[in-house]
Parts: sequence; structure tokens; C-alpha cells
Amino acid sequence: MQQTLSSNLGIEPSALVEIYRQLARIRAVDKAIQAGLGSGKFYFTYWPMTGQESIPAVLSQLTTARDYMITIYRGIHDQVAKGVPLEKLFAEALGRIDGVNKGKGGSPHISDPQSGSMLTTAIVGAGAPIANGLAFAAKSRGEDRVTIVNFGDGATSIGAIHEAMNLAGVWKLPVIFLCQNNQFGEHTTIPDYTASADFASRAKAYGFAGVKLDANDVAGFYRGMKEVIAEVRGGNGPYFVEALTNRLGPHAGIGDNDELTPEALAAAKQAWPVPRTRALLLEAGVCTANELTEIDDAARAEVETAIAHAMKSPATPVEETLVDVYADPDVPPRRGHYPRRQAEQEPGGERKVMSMAEAICDAQDTALGLDSNVWLLGEDVHDPTGGVFGTSRGLTAKYGRDRIRPTPIAEQSIIGAGIGSALVGMRPIAEIMFLDFAAVCMDQIANHAAKQRFMSGAATHVPMTMRMMVGGGTGGFGAQHSQSLEAWLTHIPGLKVAYPSTAYDAKGLLLSCIFDEDPCVHLESIKLLFTLKEETPVEDYRIPLGVARLRREGGDISLITYGWQVQECLAAAERLAAEGISAEVIDLRTLVPLDYARVFDSVKKTGRALVVHAATEFCGFGAELAATIGRELFGKLKAPVERLGADFAPIAYSREIELNQIPNQGSIAARVRELLAYKT
Amino acid sequence: MSIELTIPRLEMAMTEGGLAQWLVEDGATVNEGDPIYVLETEKAAQEISAPASGQLVQKAAAGQIYAVGVLIGEII
Repeated sequence: MQQTLSSNLGIEPSALVEIYRQLARIRAVDKAIQAGLGSGKFYFTYWPMTGQESIPAVLSQLTTARDYMITIYRGIHDQVAKGVPLEKLFAEALGRIDGVNKGKGGSPHISDPQSGSMLTTAIVGAGAPIANGLAFAAKSRGEDRVTIVNFGDGATSIGAIHEAMNLAGVWKLPVIFLCQNNQFGEHTTIPDYTASADFASRAKAYGFAGVKLDANDVAGFYRGMKEVIAEVRGGNGPYFVEALTNRLGPHAGIGDNDELTPEALAAAKQAWPVPRTRALLLEAGVCTANELTEIDDAARAEVETAIAHAMKSPATPVEETLVDVYADPDVPPRRGHYPRRQAEQEPGGERKVMSMAEAICDAQDTALGLDSNVWLLGEDVHDPTGGVFGTSRGLTAKYGRDRIRPTPIAEQSIIGAGIGSALVGMRPIAEIMFLDFAAVCMDQIANHAAKQRFMSGAATHVPMTMRMMVGGGTGGFGAQHSQSLEAWLTHIPGLKVAYPSTAYDAKGLLLSCIFDEDPCVHLESIKLLFTLKEETPVEDYRIPLGVARLRREGGDISLITYGWQVQECLAAAERLAAEGISAEVIDLRTLVPLDYARVFDSVKKTGRALVVHAATEFCGFGAELAATIGRELFGKLKAPVERLGADFAPIAYSREIELNQIPNQGSIAARVRELLAYKT
Repeated sequence: MSIELTIPRLEMAMTEGGLAQWLVEDGATVNEGDPIYVLETEKAAQEISAPASGQLVQKAAAGQIYAVGVLIGEII
């Protein structure tokens, strides 16, 4: 009989038993969660996966913990079968300190690298671009790992999935896009959200294979996935799998799926792989009823023990709030805590005249040479273009196309690939041509790169650098290529933001960013890239993040600024000097972490402060700085702390408007005169 | 060991729920998975199943609204 099963169904009896063991564990977890929520013992949001158990149960027999998995909030079944310890899984869902992610991520954000569960997202479709990065890392390291990214049919509409499929096709990545088609996009079904006949056929349009498999037929699904995984593991590129399944529960909560008709619900329960596989094992004579009951009982006992342990763990305490935001708990800004970080030792060796563009290229060259985990990706970064601003010119010949990777014009796929590779220890440098384009990949930046360390309780982190060019001040780039949007970035816990104003700073800050353990944004002003050349050290040197620099000494007022406005402030100070006004200029160099200590030193001395930036003044970064200076130095000020930023309007194409709507040496000098005339 | 039954929070925005009707008499024996009462939320009425087998002890009257977390019964 067992022989027959193997030859008829194409699955070893032992594999089928192991699949049932996983089905039983998932079922026991699901039942325990629903019982706990229904009786009021647990309080958390649950997106039941009842009906979809067979997908990860089958995968558990075809993959190991070395293979990477990404899933979504409806993914407890995936976590259980992947091998996340149940005790830690329950503790996490309950927000307890002994959770797999210290109770900081919760059930929708599980990361457990030991079992290969690398990241869980609550943003529909957002896992796919990140899966590409994991697959890229495996491929470039010559490992035979397969990456499987799970998502629902509802996710097939969102851009991230399409961008990711396109990139995976181009790069022939060992990644499986696994669509758990449970027939529902939350509360909406086909044809209300797509006119496509199916999803598997979309893969062909991106240059790789897609297949539709019935996940309710466990043996058939096993056979199908075995072939798919072998193909992908064999280096034949990505695969798209549409796994047909049913969602027996509601979108969120407990009980039956009340959006199905009673007939449809009955049919779905008929197809349910948990009882079906049990019946198959009995019918084929692989297991006796007693043996199956033993498996069920063992699963139930494992779950009961796990819950008992998890319930004993304390809720994650408030002391953990600022821990795991960054590697260094000193970085999150907070009132009354203004660490003075050690400034760099200026290197004494050979120097060469470099533009900021050349210094940036030189920093990347240094990093690529130092560490094989460093790689560069972005639009047109390969030679002969070498980046549209030439910041990677010549690097392709030196390091090859495997490490200097041009990408499609698809920023979510760029940042996502960076994140995925960083999760497993690579150090990607992702170039985003204009800061304005952060708008189209902000989900990857803000919801994933920035939060992953915290959400995973530091189980993983993202040592990625995002280089973004900043327009403005040059005229002619228009409203969508000229914005100073740094406040978008500084407002997101988890990101570090550097903004150099010289070639020397650009090289030293960028090298610090690349080798930092947290995601860093390196902002590069287009106005400065080629205009400002200076003697720059040839050797490797680092400028610590969070150390401002005094650019000009003065006694009457502190001009606190960064990026290309440093030049405007220096010019204004020169003008004012002729009038007998002595202005000090502080270049922040890094916005997060922010060097309040050196800012306070200056303002204590001058008694007046003006924060200047190219970004709009209203709700700009200067507001934060001004408020803190005002509070900390209230008794020492001779005038209110002032801000000067751009007018609250999009950047105009007209050069006449642009050069006047943004602070310039004339408007800065005028504001300084007003402040010096201030009488209390 | 007795298991407490409290008004559950089944949706993110839920703060209270109506105990519309007990489906099992006070003191009756229930099996795990049996529907024991009807919970009414803003969205829908839903049958809540017994989290364990045992004897149901009702501790709150039907036909009233209770805050999430309020004890309404026990299974002993």
C-alpha cells in the first residue's frame, strides 16, 4: 500500500507524515489562538490562515533553515512550519520580552534568522523587493539557498510586486514568488480588483516561468513545488507560483469566513487540506488512527507548553523603548541628552584635488576594495555612464558588473534589494538619483529599512547606505527635481542622515555611512558636486556621524546650517563682516545623530542663533533645532532663535523665482541684521 | 483549572461587545469548540466557541453591552 502511495502520488510516505505533523502543529496553534482570543485570554489582532496550512507544511519538506523566507501578517502558518520556536512565537504575539523579537514586532513582524524566517511585513506586497536582495546575496556568494516570498492574491495588484518580479527576471535571481491565492484581497474578490484571468501567467511577461498549483491537494502540491524548487536552486532563475487555497476565516478576528456563502464555505471546508491529508494517510494505510491522534496530541501538548511559558514572560518594559532603534542606544535624540561625540583626526597623508563627485566615487572605491560585501546598485550606475552625475565612474572596470549593478527605473526594487542583502550582512550602496524620488520608495525606506532593527528586536538589521542627490539652487530642474526633503527622513526613527558640504566631508561621511550598522542616507547636493574642489586625503578616513564642524568663527550670531546652504551662510558672513557684524557658521554635517553639544557651545558664546536651510521653513528641520536651542539656552539668548528656509511653494522652474524663494546670502544677511537689531 | 471568559477584542477598534444570548444554560457541560454565546459587535453578531471542555458558569446577564475584558463566565 505504501509502495502504491509513493508511485501513485509521487510522495514518500514519510514525507507525507511529516507534512501532516506540520499541519497538526499549525492547526493546534490556530485553534489555541482562536480559543485564547475568543475567551478574552489574549488581546491581539489575528489574521487567521485557516485553510492555507498546506502551503508551508509542504515547503517544510522541500527546504531547510538555510533557505530564506519572507511572509506577511497572515503568516503564522508560515512561521510555525519554518521552525520559529512556538514559545517565542506566542510570547511575541503577546508583546512579551521573551518573544522572538522581544515583543517589539508582534505577530505581523516576525524575524527569526535561525530558522530562515528573515522578515515579515504588514505592508501588502512589500516583501517581494526585499526577497530579491536575499536571493542576490545568496547568488553572489555562490550559495544554493532558495528565497521564498509569500504574499496573498490581494498583493498582486501593488507596484512593489511588479517592480520586484521585473528585477528578479533581469537578474535571474533564485527567488520564488509564492502567491497564496486564498481568493480574497481583504474583503474584495476578483473581478472587483483585477481583470486578469489568473496570476501565474503574469510571470511570462517578466521573462520567467509561472505555474498554478492546487495547494489543497497536498501530494500534487508537493510534486509541483519539488520541481519548482529544484529549478530555482539549480540556478535557472525565478519562478512564480500561484498556490490555490481557501481562507476559511475572516480577514481579521476569529471564526468562519462570513464573506463566503454557506455553500462556498462548505465546499472550502471539504477541500481543507488538514482533514483531507489525515484521511489520505488513513486510506493509504500509512498511519493508523492512533498514530495520527498521537501526532495531534503531541502538537497540542507542544502548543500548551509554549503558551504556558509565553504567558509567564513579562510584557516588554518601557525601558526598551529606545533600545534597538539604532545599534547605539545613544543615537535617538531626546530632551536633556546631548552627547558630545569625538571629532575625527584629520589624516595627514597624501592629498589630491577632488570635486565632491570625485570624493564620493573615491569613497565607494575604497569601500568596495575593503570589503567584498559592499556593492552598488542604482539607475545607470555602471560604466560608461557611471551614474548620471558620474559618482561611480570607472568602478565597473575595477569591480565588475556583479558588484556595480545597474537597475531598472524602479526605486522600490532598488531599496528592497539593498535591504534584503543587508539583512544577511552585505553592505549595499543604493543610489537614488534624486531625493525627490524617495517619494516612490518611501515604504521600503521608512517602513522596512528604518524599522527592521527595532521590529526584529535586533534579530536582524539593515547596514545599507542610500545615496540621494539633492537639486535646488541651480535653476532649471523644476518642482520635482529640486526639493530639500531631509525632514521627511529625519522624522523617521531608525534612519541616520548625513549631508556634507565639502568634498573632504563627503568622502569621510560616506565611508562612515557604508560601514555603519544602521541604514544611512547620504545627501549629495548637485550644486556642490562639481563646483567645489578641494584637497582631499587619498587614504581611507572616517568622519564620525554626529559631529558638527565650525566653518567660521564669530561672536555676534551663530548661523547653523548644512549642505549647500553652508556656502550661502559663509558668503553672508563675509558680507556682514564688512559691516562689522561677526557671524559664526556651524556646519552640522550630520542631521541624525545631531550634534547639539557643539551647536549649544556656539550659541552660548554668541547669544543669537539663526538656522538656515534650503528646505521650506514651515515644518522644516530648523524648527526642531530652534525649539531645542530656545529651551536649553533660554536665559542666555539676546534675541529669539530664528529660522530661515524656503518660501512655502514648490520650487519654480523660473530661475528668478528659484534663486529668491530659497535662502541666499542676501536674505540671510538681511535676517541677521534684523536679529541684531532686536531689543528685549 | 478554570478558564475565564471575558469579552474579547476581535477587531483593532473594538472597545465593547454585546452579550446577546447565552447558547448554553448555566451549569451545563460543554465540549471544546461548542458555541456558547453570541457576541454582538458594531459589525456583526458572532458565535463564540468554548475554549475548553467543562462546566459553564455564567457570570453576566445576556442582553447587555460590556467593555472588552469584563468577566462574563467561566469554564470549570
